[in-house]
Amino acid sequence: MSTINRKLLPMVLLLAFPTILCAQDLKLPPGVEKLAAKAKETVEVNMDGPMLQWASKFLSSEDPEEKKAAKLVANLKGIYVRSFEFSEEGAYSAPDVEAFRAQFRSPEWSRVVGVRSEHDGDNVDVFFKLENEKMAGIVIIAAEPKELTFVNIVGPLEVDQLADLGGEFGIPKLKTKPPSSKPVAKADKGEQK
Amino acid sequence: MVFSIAQHFLADRPAAEELAQDVFLQLHGTLPTLKSEEHVKFWLRKVTAHRCIDYQRRRKLTQVSLDEVPEPASPAQSSDPFVARRLQLFVASLPEKPRLIVILRYQEDMLPEDIAEVLTMPVATVKSHLQRSLALLRDKVTRTIGEVTI
Amino acid sequence: MTETNKDPNLIEDALRNALCRDDAPEGFAVRVLARAEQENSSAHKAQRASWLSIFSQPLVRWVAFATVSICLVIGGVHYRKLQRQRAEGEAAKAQLMLALRIAGSKLQLAKSKVNEINQSSPEPQPQNKSPRSRS
Repeated sequence: MSTINRKLLPMVLLLAFPTILCAQDLKLPPGVEKLAAKAKETVEVNMDGPMLQWASKFLSSEDPEEKKAAKLVANLKGIYVRSFEFSEEGAYSAPDVEAFRAQFRSPEWSRVVGVRSEHDGDNVDVFFKLENEKMAGIVIIAAEPKELTFVNIVGPLEVDQLADLGGEFGIPKLKTKPPSSKPVAKADKGEQK
Repeated sequence: MVFSIAQHFLADRPAAEELAQDVFLQLHGTLPTLKSEEHVKFWLRKVTAHRCIDYQRRRKLTQVSLDEVPEPASPAQSSDPFVARRLQLFVASLPEKPRLIVILRYQEDMLPEDIAEVLTMPVATVKSHLQRSLALLRDKVTRTIGEVTI
Repeated sequence: MTETNKDPNLIEDALRNALCRDDAPEGFAVRVLARAEQENSSAHKAQRASWLSIFSQPLVRWVAFATVSICLVIGGVHYRKLQRQRAEGEAAKAQLMLALRIAGSKLQLAKSKVNEINQSSPEPQPQNKSPRSRS
C-alpha cells in the first residue's frame, strides 16, 4: 500500500506542550521527538478545546467539508497530530513506537484495529477510549516504512458520529465484522499486556 | 445730541444720519459696559467725535458754501437765521479739532476740561484752539456780514 | 447796538444759537433698530463662517491634520489587528483541516488493511475452530 501523498508543510504551532500528545498526558517517547530532525517533512498539530472552537469559527458553512468539520469538532476537546515523513526506510525504531503503543494497555483504552502487514510494512493501530460506554477519544498510530504518524482526538465522540464521518476526510466506516484469525492482522479488543 | 454733533461737523445730513446710526449701533454692543447716564453721555460724545474725524479723513470735505449748508431742522434761537446759518458754515470750515472743540463747547456746553477728556488732548490745547477759533469766527462774521446787531 | 468784535460774549452767544441741538430726522430711531436687527443676523452668519475661517490659521490646520492623522492611524491599527486576527484564524482553520485529513487518511489506511485481510482470509470452518480465533 503506497503511502498517501500529501503536501506536508513543516510547521509547528505555537501552543504549549509539544512533547505531550494530549491533555491526557500521553507522551511521545524521546526517540520519537527527535525524529523531526531526521524527517523530510514534519507535521505537528496541537489544538486544545479553546483553540478548536476558535478555529471552527472560521469554518465556512457553505463549504460541505468545512461544514461537517465544524459539526465534528463542536464537542471535541483536542486534536493532536505528529507526522514524520522520511526519505529512507528505517529512520525510526520499532521499540520507540511500541513504547508509545504501550500507553494504551489500560482498561479505559480498547484497541479496535491492529494491523501488521509484512507485505508492505504498514502497521496501523486504532484505539478507542470509552467513558461511561461512550466514545471519549481515539488514538491512531500508523507506522509505515517511510512515514510515522500519531493522531490523538480527544472528546465525547459518539460512535454514530464516527459512523457519520465515514468517507469524510478519508475517515472510513469501520466494519463490525469480527477480526480475522490471521496472525498478521490483529483486531483484538482490550489488548492485555 | 449725536446727530447734531455730526450734522454741525459734517454739514451733511445724510452722512450725519449714517454716522449717528453707526454710533448708536456701537452703543448697543457697548451698553453693558457703561455704568451711568453720565458715562453714556461721555461715551457718546467721545465716539461721535472720533467718528466725525475718521469720516472727515476718509472723504475730503471741501469748503462748503452758504447755499450748501442745509437748513437746520430746529430754528435757531437767534432771531436772525441768516447769521446762524453763516456761523454754521464758518464752523464747518474750521479745521477738524477746533471744529469739534467749538461744537462741543457751544452745542453741548462742555467745559474745556471735559472737552480735553473726550478728545484726549491737553486742556491748554483745547483752550488755545477755542480762543483762536472764536477770533477767527468773529473776524469772518464781521467781514462777511458786518457788525452783528442783536 | 452791540458790536460783536467788542463784546466777546456776543459771538459765543451767536454760536450757541447757531449750534443749538439739531433734532434727528424723522424715523431715525426706527432705522437704527432695523439696522441693528439686520446686523445681528449677519453676525450669526459671520460667526458660522468664522468657524471655517479658523482653519485658515496654520497652527489650527496643523492640529486638525494631526488629529485626523491620529484617528486614521488608530483606525488603521485596529483594522490591521482585525486583519491579523483573521489571518491567524484562517491559519488555525487550515491546520485543523490538515489534522482531520491526516486522521482520516490513517483511518482509511486501517480500513483498507482490514478489508485486505478480510478478503484474503479464507472462510473459517465451523468444526476446525481454533482457540486463537476466539476473541
